[in-house]
Amino acid sequence: MPLLLQVQSVSKHFQLHIQNNKRIAALDDVSFKMDQGDILGLTGKSGSGKSSLMKCIYRTYLVNSGRILLHTGSGAVTDLASASEHAVLRLRQTEMFYCSQFLSVIPRVPAADIVAESLTRKGVSHADAAEQARDLLSKLGLPRELWDAFPATFSGGEQQRVNVARAIIAAPRFLLIDEPTASLDPKTKDVVIDLVLALKARGTSVVLITHDQHTLDRMASRRLHLEHGRVRELETAVVA
Amino acid sequence: MSSSSPTSAPAQVAPLNDADTGWLLRVRGLSKIYGEPISNSVQYTGPAHGTNICPETDAIVACAEISFDLYPGEVLGVVGESGSGKSTLVQLLYFDQQATAGEVQFQAIDEGQTNILGLSNQRKRHTRSNLMGMVYQNPRDGLNFSFSAGGNIAEKLLMAGNFHIGRIRERASFLLEKTEVPVKRMDSTPDTFSGGMQQRVQISKAIANSPPLLFLDEVTSGLDVSVQARVLDLIRHLQRELGVSMIVVSHDLAVIRMLTDRTLVMKNGRIVESGLTDQILQDPQHPYTQLLVSSLL
Repeated sequence: MPLLLQVQSVSKHFQLHIQNNKRIAALDDVSFKMDQGDILGLTGKSGSGKSSLMKCIYRTYLVNSGRILLHTGSGAVTDLASASEHAVLRLRQTEMFYCSQFLSVIPRVPAADIVAESLTRKGVSHADAAEQARDLLSKLGLPRELWDAFPATFSGGEQQRVNVARAIIAAPRFLLIDEPTASLDPKTKDVVIDLVLALKARGTSVVLITHDQHTLDRMASRRLHLEHGRVRELETAVVA
Repeated sequence: MSSSSPTSAPAQVAPLNDADTGWLLRVRGLSKIYGEPISNSVQYTGPAHGTNICPETDAIVACAEISFDLYPGEVLGVVGESGSGKSTLVQLLYFDQQATAGEVQFQAIDEGQTNILGLSNQRKRHTRSNLMGMVYQNPRDGLNFSFSAGGNIAEKLLMAGNFHIGRIRERASFLLEKTEVPVKRMDSTPDTFSGGMQQRVQISKAIANSPPLLFLDEVTSGLDVSVQARVLDLIRHLQRELGVSMIVVSHDLAVIRMLTDRTLVMKNGRIVESGLTDQILQDPQHPYTQLLVSSLL
């Protein structure tokens, strides 16, 4: 398979100017490659740098050194670590989607609209987007009476479904997904896993963070293990 | 650590690449100084000195050397404390105030070839009424309180050369409906409206001519939380629907987080940091931004 991502010697630390200039190390000389269609599972203890690495790829964090080369759908290669903000925004709109661990709630926007927005941004009509959003929320088992409610008051598991639905509905080319199955019951967990695997079958590449062994075993085609911000092992797992 | 430079000094604002194309608005070296500056006024002020008042002449450096690009459909936040120069910045761009120095190119004027700060007053008026919209913190700055709500919108449409009364009324009711102001209140004056309604009328007026560029200056600051959420939702909605570019000035990081793609952080009249909004909020580089973010409730 062709290359999707090359992470080259990425290091990241936080310099806390207002706390005695304290320096917190996050990533130390991380390098790896990823092919198109891979689901790369990031493993490691809490604090090992998994989320930091994901946020560096999405440019939510600025790296201190190294390159993050994305082979885009148009065939161009962009260094996400140094590309202009405008270029990164465009890639976020066209091919990268970051699904954080928690839904950051937009006040007064109903669940189905939050999900549909991922599609309308790409030019899908409101009616089509709304129908697909309802379909997906129903597959994920979100009770019908919550579709038009505001997620601020939802339970953790209900918010999680909205969050995952929003991430996968538009079938992004490159999905960064942090703990997609945490706080879900076993049945819904497998629904989420199947939906992401269906995306993979259609060509989506995924970086996945999970502490759930079942999710990891079923989803990850490759694994990258982090310890104290360093790569400990990069293994090819048996494809589930 | 194998590599990575120790950064004891705050990160510099990334240099702008002049080769970038496709921008809607390009701002370079924009400055506004009140009073009588001397040649060193800019050098003696700024974040490093903790002031924007020149120690020698008491000239106030409200904005100095402001440079950035804004792209079509993008929402740019400007955040900073009171007196940091953020309102002055949008007032300069909207010709409410006259800049001391700098260049502003706007794609909608002469295909971006002209410094619009040097336009004749007539062309500035035309630009304001046809190609820009402004929503002020205080509705009294953006609305004429002796005109009705509909009259305020009509004023903006008339300025842009629309004289057909029927079409003006039609457009006004369409806009009021869009901004959730009861259309039957169209002929009432804004002083009979609540603060949130006044703000929505002001938004109607600002978008009346579908301008490609909209300035929002602390638009939700005086509103209670539920009304604030409603106005923010309206702005987000209009932005998505109309694809308008916006510059959103706010001291409230929650507003910045909800509305903007990119953010400029200002202090003492300077940009101290700029970046993607999620980066500014989660990985702030400058000590002042770190202080600001760590103070967020």
